[in-house]
Amino acid sequence: MSQLVLPPLGAETIFHIGHLPVTNTIVNTWVAMVIFLIFGLLLRKRIGLKPGKLQNWCEYFLDLLLGYFDQVTGERKKTLQFLPIVGSVFFFILLSNWLGLLPGTGSILVGHEPLLRPANTDLNLTIAMALVAVVASHVFGFVTVGVFTHLNKFVQFGSLVKSFKKGPIGIFTAIIEFAVGLIEIVSEAAKVVSLSLRLFGNIFAGEVLMTVMLSLVAAIVPTPFMLMELLVGVIQAGVFAMLTIVYMTVASAEPHGAEH
Amino acid sequence: MQFIDIANAEELQITTEAPAEGGGVAASLGINGTLFVFQLINFAIVASIIWFLILKPLTKKMTERQKMIDDSIENSKKIQDTLQRSEQKYQEKIDQAKVEYNKIVEKATGDAEAAVATMKIKSKEEIELLVDQAKRNINIEKTEMMASLKAETSNLIVMALEKILSEKIDAKKDKGMIEEMIRKL
Repeated sequence: MSQLVLPPLGAETIFHIGHLPVTNTIVNTWVAMVIFLIFGLLLRKRIGLKPGKLQNWCEYFLDLLLGYFDQVTGERKKTLQFLPIVGSVFFFILLSNWLGLLPGTGSILVGHEPLLRPANTDLNLTIAMALVAVVASHVFGFVTVGVFTHLNKFVQFGSLVKSFKKGPIGIFTAIIEFAVGLIEIVSEAAKVVSLSLRLFGNIFAGEVLMTVMLSLVAAIVPTPFMLMELLVGVIQAGVFAMLTIVYMTVASAEPHGAEH
Repeated sequence: MQFIDIANAEELQITTEAPAEGGGVAASLGINGTLFVFQLINFAIVASIIWFLILKPLTKKMTERQKMIDDSIENSKKIQDTLQRSEQKYQEKIDQAKVEYNKIVEKATGDAEAAVATMKIKSKEEIELLVDQAKRNINIEKTEMMASLKAETSNLIVMALEKILSEKIDAKKDKGMIEEMIRKL
């Protein structure tokens, strides 16, 4: 009897470095890391004011991406401020997703476990990236609008105290705003959960889909699904990066009514 | 991706690996503190590589190029403005030179006309002076000639008288001679 073994939710441990478990998603991350390193060194060597073919293509895609980011931030200066996080997230997710489509992913076994598995099918990585994105948005918020102004978006003690001078309606409004601020704290946690689970869910679902399709028919039939997975890879990278830049833009914006 | 021979698909059985033991929902989803930190570090390294080796140099060059283009456009505008100003100044100088030229020519013409008039007057005066002098000279010469003539005439008369007196003349002859002499005068 043949068995269709679907990938488990958690990444499989391949080996240990000391006490540290190394999973197949970590191996995939390292592969991406090496590719970026080689590409980066190559690019750094050839970079100049008069671009070559490689630099030209890179600049074309980067400019395209910056154009989308500009639509969210409203200005190039802000986009460039957020680019270290947002750009890294986008390109890393994109490459990791596409690496999962390469032959060998899931089929090369170490013992009984596959050596390679798309990095974003590991919740540890997606949560780590989501946490970095949300924390970075708050760091930008602190730096841009100031610590107290940014904190006042969530814990509005100042508004509550000031409202006592405005009468009952003012106090009522301040209490509602205070409650909304507390809900905002919950929404910040929800951002991490939604970002990480969305990416994980989509890529893991794609992995399961590809496993099933390849198990049913080994050739030709899975091709459209692979093309769809290529698209999903770009879309998910784009969604994660766009949401990150939205969070950063919102966090670094002055709160409503700050001028009053 | 698992490549599995399912030639005899009727006996296919789908299974998944058992979730981690004794870890609840988080463990069943594969969430693990150690792995989370490991992946966080991995992501930090990847992000650093992407930023420092790829995105930063690219954006830096793009910004530099953009700045260079902006500067070039600005310089070009400045050069164009300078050229326009220079042309304007050149035209102003040319116009000024034309005005000065006209003034000089007018002045020269005026001076020349004045000089001609002055010279004409001077020439006229000189000519008049010369004519006066000539007239005076002629008068003097005339006077002198008249004086000389008178002197000559007197001499002649004297001489004639002497001749007459020297000859023996009768009253008739004397009278005739005197009349002739007077007639000759």
